[in-house]
This record gives sequence, C-alpha cells and structure tokens, in this order.
Amino acid sequence: MELIDAHKAKIFALARRLAGNEQDAEDIVQESLLKAIDNIDTFRGEASFGTWLFSIALNESRGHLARQKRHGLRSIEEYLPSQDSSAVDSSASQRLLEWDDPHSKLETEELQRFIDQGLSDLPYIYREAFVLRYVEDLSVKEVAGMIGESEAATKSRILRARLALREYLARRFEVHHGR
Amino acid sequence: MADKCPDYAKELNDYLDGTFDPSLCHEIEAHVGHCQNCRIMIDTLRQTVKLCQEGKEVPLPPSLESKLNNLLQVRWEKKFGHQ
Repeated sequence: MELIDAHKAKIFALARRLAGNEQDAEDIVQESLLKAIDNIDTFRGEASFGTWLFSIALNESRGHLARQKRHGLRSIEEYLPSQDSSAVDSSASQRLLEWDDPHSKLETEELQRFIDQGLSDLPYIYREAFVLRYVEDLSVKEVAGMIGESEAATKSRILRARLALREYLARRFEVHHGR
Repeated sequence: MADKCPDYAKELNDYLDGTFDPSLCHEIEAHVGHCQNCRIMIDTLRQTVKLCQEGKEVPLPPSLESKLNNLLQVRWEKKFGHQ
C-alpha cells in the first residue's frame, strides 16, 4: 500500500498530460490505482514498481479516452507543416525567430497553457509517445516496450509529435505577437 | 528544410537527442552552419522539448488525494483484510 501511495502524484501527473484535462486525469488515476491493488499479485518485479504502474495507467488512459472518442479522430498530418517545404521555410524563418526566449514575451501561465493545449491537441498515440519520451524521460526502447510498438515506429511517432508541437507553438506565438 | 537541404528528417530526433552517428552529426552541423532555415528548424525543435520539460507538474489536488486515500484503503482492506 505504501508503494502505491508513493506513486499517486506521479501517476496523476502522467494522466494529466495524457488526458489533457483534470477531470479525465482524476478518473484515470483512480481506476489505475484500484486496478493496481486488484492485480498486485501479478507484479513480478521484472520492471520497477513505477514502470508497472505506468503501464497500468497507460492502458487506463487509452481505454478511457477511447471510450470518449476524443482521440484518433484527426490525422497527425493535419498538424504537421505542409509538404511545400520552400513555402514552409520562408514563413517559419520569420515567425520562429520569436522563439529565442518565449519566457521574456509570455507570462509563465500563458506559456504553460499553450504547451498544455498543444499536447492535448495531438492525436493520442503521438501525445503518449512524446510525453513518455520527453516528459517522463524514458528511453526510446522503454517507450517502445510500454506502447507495444517497434523502436522504429516509436521514433517516428516521437518525431512527428515533436514537429507537430513545434508547428502548433509557432502558430500560437505568431498569433500572440499579432502577426 | 528547403528542397536543396539534405534529407535528414528521419534522423532529426537522434541528432537532437545526441544519439546520432558522430560522423553524420558533423555533416548536419556543417550544413546548419550556413543554412538559416535548417538552423531555425533544429533550434525550435530543441526548444519545443525544452519548453515541455520545463512545464510545471500539476500537483495532486488535495480533494482528490483525500478521495483516493479512502478508496484505496477500502479496496486494500477488501483484498487483504485489516492490517
């Protein structure tokens, strides 16, 4: 019980990032921890207890969000830069110069809101890979194991998420600066 | 990246995360040294991750913590009995 207790906040933070809002995150963390108690006999210690709990929370997030049909409705292509690379580059060069120090131009709360919104706008499978890799700081191999994909497919998801988020933030910064 | 830029899109994450073949890193760096578009692309992709990592973690709301404590205790006792 102490072990589960010690991971409550961490699982909530993961669920919050994956769900994109607090209400869904509350449901996910509750279901995940109850499931962990129900299945604690199956924890064999091959992975750390935290990793085991993460896997349960990931499954719960997928199930929860699938039931709500909030993910997978749009293609990642909608979030990525256009394939007309020369057009992308000329506009990107201008607007992304603003990125040097976003903290100097945006309040921390506003910047946080942009990031939260950018993450929650990503199709779930990309958000999940990105959050596990860069927010939870897992290796590509660990992420691949958790999401049940090959390392190559995982890398591709992470990169696409990164490109899409970059594009999203660039657009938000552009709007913010009234361009 | 413009049409004339080398196509290293698939390797970008490995390059940015420092897990890329060093000889190819030199190739990218040589190009980026004189290509502003690629430099901005790489800088902003790096910045994207940095901003997400800096984001503050939302703390467990006290009301949820209290609710969870009760729920977990009840479930634990149901499974293992009073301890």
